[in-house]
Amino acid sequence: MRRFLVLIVCISSVAMCRVVSAQCSDEVFLRRAYLAVTGSLPTAQTCERFLDDDNFNKRERLVSRLVNSELSFKYMQMHWGDILRIKSEFPSNLWPNGVQAYNRWIYEQLMNNVPYDKMVRELLLSEGSNFRSPAVNFYRGFQQRTPENFYKNINLLFLGNRDCRDNGHLCFSQVRFKSTKEWKEEIIYLDYHKKVYYTQIELEDGTTLTPQQDSDWREVYVNWLTSSRNRRFAEVMVNRMWYWIFGRGIVHEPDDWREDNRPSDPQLLAELTDYFISSKFDMRKLLKKILLTDEFESEAAPAGYYTPQRLPAEVIVDALATVTGIWDTYSSRVPEPFTFYPPRTRATHLGDATVSSTELELFGKVSRDVSLEAQRNNEISSRQLLYLMNSSVLEQRIRKSGVLKKICEQNPTLEQLTDAITLRVLSRRATDSEKRLYKEYMEQNGLSLRDLALDMVWVQINSNEFLYNH
Amino acid sequence: MRKIYLTSVLLLALSFAATAQRAKSVILVYLDGGPSQTETFDPKPDTSRDYYGSYKGVAKTNVEGIEIGEKLPLLATIADKYSLIRSMTHGSNAHETGHYTMITGDASGGAVVYPSYGAVISYMKRDTYKGVLPCYISVTSANSRFNEGGFLGNEYKSFDTGGRPEKEVYEVEGIVNKFVDSTALSRRMALLEEFETLPMDKQKIDSLRAINMEFIWGQSREVFDLANEPDSVRQRYGMTRIGQSCLTARRLVEAGVPFVNVRTTGWDTHKKHFQFMNSMLPNLDKALSALISDLDARGLLDSTIVLCGGEFGRTPKVMWEAPWNGGRGHFGAAFSYLVAGGGFVGGKVVGKTNKTGEKVAERPVYPCDLIGTVYLLMGIDPYGTLPHVSMGELPILPSLLNSEQSNGLLYEIIDIKKGDYER
Repeated sequence: MRRFLVLIVCISSVAMCRVVSAQCSDEVFLRRAYLAVTGSLPTAQTCERFLDDDNFNKRERLVSRLVNSELSFKYMQMHWGDILRIKSEFPSNLWPNGVQAYNRWIYEQLMNNVPYDKMVRELLLSEGSNFRSPAVNFYRGFQQRTPENFYKNINLLFLGNRDCRDNGHLCFSQVRFKSTKEWKEEIIYLDYHKKVYYTQIELEDGTTLTPQQDSDWREVYVNWLTSSRNRRFAEVMVNRMWYWIFGRGIVHEPDDWREDNRPSDPQLLAELTDYFISSKFDMRKLLKKILLTDEFESEAAPAGYYTPQRLPAEVIVDALATVTGIWDTYSSRVPEPFTFYPPRTRATHLGDATVSSTELELFGKVSRDVSLEAQRNNEISSRQLLYLMNSSVLEQRIRKSGVLKKICEQNPTLEQLTDAITLRVLSRRATDSEKRLYKEYMEQNGLSLRDLALDMVWVQINSNEFLYNH
Repeated sequence: MRKIYLTSVLLLALSFAATAQRAKSVILVYLDGGPSQTETFDPKPDTSRDYYGSYKGVAKTNVEGIEIGEKLPLLATIADKYSLIRSMTHGSNAHETGHYTMITGDASGGAVVYPSYGAVISYMKRDTYKGVLPCYISVTSANSRFNEGGFLGNEYKSFDTGGRPEKEVYEVEGIVNKFVDSTALSRRMALLEEFETLPMDKQKIDSLRAINMEFIWGQSREVFDLANEPDSVRQRYGMTRIGQSCLTARRLVEAGVPFVNVRTTGWDTHKKHFQFMNSMLPNLDKALSALISDLDARGLLDSTIVLCGGEFGRTPKVMWEAPWNGGRGHFGAAFSYLVAGGGFVGGKVVGKTNKTGEKVAERPVYPCDLIGTVYLLMGIDPYGTLPHVSMGELPILPSLLNSEQSNGLLYEIIDIKKGDYER
């Protein structure tokens, strides 16, 4: 009967040019939502509680809880940090104090769910010290601080336009920088004495802007940019959020909007954009809406609407730390002497592309050199597989894992052991056939329960099910 | 007309690749932190304690007229095998920008992040290099202050060996795992095969895993196993991190690896400079002289470029004042590099600094001049291009076209005549 229904859904979806496959299981949904929204694995207890929950609306309740969680704000902060290129050293050169203030500012926007248009306004119309008005760091993060570069970046970030040809950059020609005696403090201010030599700036879409003497010229541009009449502004954000969740934009690449790069599903994009604008640019509502679409709930398939994605570098690194209970330590090399991050800091929360580790580099941590989403490379490589297969550093972490030790010390049955590990690594209970497989494996190779546990963790972290959000 | 033009450019490029290549591999001995040129390759014995500190003399080399630091007596015996650049300059005194410039050849401050020359060589050799070992290897780790892959992407970044070559077991990441033997790994692989349920990228992942098994149990394991070397050879390089790293580099080059980055740290001597020099220079002397002579004895020096230097030099004037109490600061205005092999001739000195070493007096050499010369010797057109994801083809060394950032390739110390390849 269910198959039959699915078939009907499929047929009707094909008619609407949307391929929606069967709904994914609760196990898959939980892990998928956790990884997409918070970049972290659910704990074993969370998994059990969710799987044993009988409420019909448990998925919606989970999504509500997740989008309002601190972990979600922190993970979204990482996405923003990537495209705003937040980094202490080369090439953004924001330096640690600036990086910290900037991250804090973004976090507060997300925590307070500041509407998208307001957040962008504050970002682009900022003035003052980079320590006290953190949004001004936007203007600092350029090797060449020219109005043309600011404008190019603004076009890319907020309009998905890689090739701007109008002279809107004139609106940013008053921006000036002044350093203070404090190390790496800078004041961003506006030069109002610059004469208006032109009365009108014509934008690519035909809009005319009229900057006034003795005023912030950025304002006329930003008013136009963030207006709800500027549909592209909302579309780009909607599409970007979709990209963050699915790894593929409705318009793809998400920062390459052109006449000849059409959305794969114009109706979906239009619906979500209408919703986003009518919600007054509420980003949290938008996220929730996307998570409750049929697409997000559909079963993974290579050609289906939900395509499995390899986990981002920071997420894999955190997941390995969660599984073993042994976390890397991170430090900042500037200013000397080195500053250490608190123990158990998540890689997803570092906030500074200058701070890294061998593991993060291996899995392709974003270096934040450019504002393009494509800078993140989630392609699986032989070196990454080599590391998972045979790294003595990783093996040592599994062997030293207090978590694993604790599980083994409780003298579990084979079934209990299998469930405990599978819940921790793959966020689900083990299947019966898996339990049989492990049992045979243990007997064939004459392993102790502890040895079996080590091999089990190894097998699971090497499996696609672990490496991908599926 | 356009077609004819294109064909001739293509022919030129082909003839370029066919004839200009002298070297097959590069070994970069990178002294991270910025080594002092005064105690290494540009000694200033005629200055006062303010400049020369507690050092007095020099080491006279086997080449008439060339003197190097007194703590490098072994290198002094083989000066005919290498040349010295004493007029390297880029003017940056910050680690990250100095490092960026010295490792990419691009002046920092541009809008684009360039790849390191290891990554560029790795990219250029992607079709011709067929080895099992990665094309670009760092012993034991690369400096991660900026993204070495630059706009070429992560694929071309270095493979970091990790581990410690001077220890009894050199635990090369992913290859040598003291906890898991071949039986255990095969057992696990068989279990994984049965466990794997999700079909994503299966074919690709299976083939990558097979390559990795070959990598773990095949020739590469042998290459990294320094116990295969006679003890006398290991001792000659020195049982130090830098010594055994240089030995590893030689073995990698023998196995055909195109770019090896031997990175040693600790050269950022703001304090206790002379104490550090006394302890570090003998290790460098041993390792680098053994590397060059060993390559030479094996007939590999002709096809292997050896480079030694850091992101900048150190202030010629000693900072005797507190809190440094005898240190040297960062100095990007004038510093030295050693170059040998792979088409570089020996026994020459390029450039000169003034009496105190604070200024370049003759023939400034910019980072792109050195790296462009390395490209030329590796058969890579220094005036060629690299693909950028959104900007199309970009010049491989943009600074080479800028007279403020370049003073021309180092034709005076290579065996290729100027004019043959100059554009």
